[in-house]
Amino acid sequence: MSTLATLRSQYHWKTAGLLVPGLLLCSVAPASADRIERHFKVAAHPVVTIHNPNGLVTVRAWTKPDVMVVVQRATSQVEVDAEQNGNRVDIQGRQVADTAAPDDLRADLEISVPQDTELQIHNDSGGVTVSNVLGDMNVDTIAAAVDLQDTAGYLTVKTVGGAFQCLRCAGRVEVTSISGNFKFIDLHSVYVRAQTSEGNILFNGSFMPNATYVLKNYSGAIEVRFSPGDSFDLMATSLKGKVNNEAKLEPSMHHHPKFGNALFGTFNSGRARVELNSFDGTINILKRD
Amino acid sequence: MSTYACNDFLKQLEAWMEGERSSVAQSHLRDCAHCRGLVEDMGAIRQAALAWAAQESDPPARVWVSLRAQLAQEGLIRGEEPRLAKAPRGWLAAIFAGVPRPALAGAYLLALIAVSVAFTGRSARELNESRWMSGTQNSTGLLNAQLQTEQNSVSGMVESNPVVTASLHDNLAIVDNYIALCEKSVREEPESEIARDYLYDAYQQKASLLAQMTERGMNGR
Repeated sequence: MSTLATLRSQYHWKTAGLLVPGLLLCSVAPASADRIERHFKVAAHPVVTIHNPNGLVTVRAWTKPDVMVVVQRATSQVEVDAEQNGNRVDIQGRQVADTAAPDDLRADLEISVPQDTELQIHNDSGGVTVSNVLGDMNVDTIAAAVDLQDTAGYLTVKTVGGAFQCLRCAGRVEVTSISGNFKFIDLHSVYVRAQTSEGNILFNGSFMPNATYVLKNYSGAIEVRFSPGDSFDLMATSLKGKVNNEAKLEPSMHHHPKFGNALFGTFNSGRARVELNSFDGTINILKRD
Repeated sequence: MSTYACNDFLKQLEAWMEGERSSVAQSHLRDCAHCRGLVEDMGAIRQAALAWAAQESDPPARVWVSLRAQLAQEGLIRGEEPRLAKAPRGWLAAIFAGVPRPALAGAYLLALIAVSVAFTGRSARELNESRWMSGTQNSTGLLNAQLQTEQNSVSGMVESNPVVTASLHDNLAIVDNYIALCEKSVREEPESEIARDYLYDAYQQKASLLAQMTERGMNGR
C-alpha cells in the first residue's frame, strides 16, 4: 500500500472514530436524563406528598408561597406526576416500562416548599434530604438514608436499612429502623424516641427541660454526650453489654428492676428524662468535648 | 415516700384506661417513668387499633377468638365468650370490637404482639418463673407460626429494584437472628422483663417487615 493510500485510510478511520460516537450521542440524548420543572401556588400550611421509589429526594424551604418541583429523570422509562389538590401537592414517580434496569428508573427530585409545609415522603432507595422545613414530617424508606437539617414539628421517620441523621432538629422526633445508624447532632427536641436493631445511635444535643429521650437498640453502640450544665434523670440498661458512664449521678429514688448492666441516677436536678436501652450493645455516656 | 407501688398502679390500669384516675395513681404516674411508659404504650395501642378501625371491614373472627382464648388461658383476662356483635364494655373490649381486618396483610399480628407485650410482659410480675416461661412460649409460639406462614409467602418475592430486595431480605435475617438471641436470653432468665420486651419487640419488627414485604408484593411495586 502507498503512503498516500495509508494516510487516506487512517484519515477515514479517524473520521469514522469521531463521527460514530457523535451520532450515538445524538441518538441517546433524547432518551437520557432530562429536566422537568413545575410550579404550584399554595396557601399557608400546605401539604406535599412525595412518592419516589428510586432516586434522591431533596426538599428545601424557601420564602415564596410556591412549591417548585424539579425532576431529573434517568430515562423516559420513569414518569413523575405532580398535581395539586387544594392546598396539597402530590408528587409521584412511577415506572412506565414493564422491564427496565433499576438505574433507568431513577428520578431525582428537588423540591422547594414554604417553611410551614407538612411533608410526607416515601423513598425506597436513593436518599432523602430535608432542610429548613418547620412543618410536620413523615418519612418512610427502605434502603434510603434520611438526612434532616434545621427542621421542627413532629418528625416520624421509618427506615428498614437506611441511616438517619438529624442536625439542629427541634420539635418531636420518632425514628425506627432495623439496621440504620442514627445521629442526632445539636438537637433541640423535647421528645425523641429512637429505636434501631443493629445500628449505632449517637446523641449529641441539648437536654431540654421536661424533655424525654428514649434511645434503644439491640446491638451496636449508644453514645450520649452531655455538658456539665445539663440536667437529666438517667436510666441506662444493657442486658448483655456494657454501660460506661462519665456523669456523676445521684442514685435514683425509684425502684428499678435489675437485669444485666444497669445504671440509674440523676444528673444535676434531673429535668429531662433519658432512657437508654440495649440488648447486647455498649452504652456510653460521655462528656461533651 | 409513697407506699403506692407499680404493682398497685398495674392493678388499676384497666380503670385508668377507662378514665377512672385516682389522685394517688396520678401522683404515682408523675413520678414513675416506667408506668408512664406503659400508659403511653397502651394509649398508642388504642390509637393504632382505632386507626385500623377506620380502614376496612371486620377481622376474621377466629383471630380474636384465638387471641382472647389465649389471654384467658394465661389468666390475664377473664375467660368469656367473645361477643363481637355486642356493644363493648371495657376499654380492651372496645378495642377488640372496633378493630376490623387490618389494611395491611399481617397487621393483626401487631395487635397480637402489642397486647401480649402489655399483658404478658408487664402486668404479672408476681407470676413465677415457670409461668413466665410458659406464658412467653405460648405467646411467641403462636406468633412464630403465623409469622412463618407469612414469611413463606414472601420468600420468593423479588422486587424490581435489587437494592430494595437485598435490604428487605438482609434485614429480615437480622430480625430473625435477634429473635433467636432473645429467645435464648428468655430461656436463661425467664423473669427478665427486659429480655421479654426485646423478644416481643423483635417479633413486632418482623411482623411489620413482613407486612411491608407482603404489601409490596401485592402492589407489584
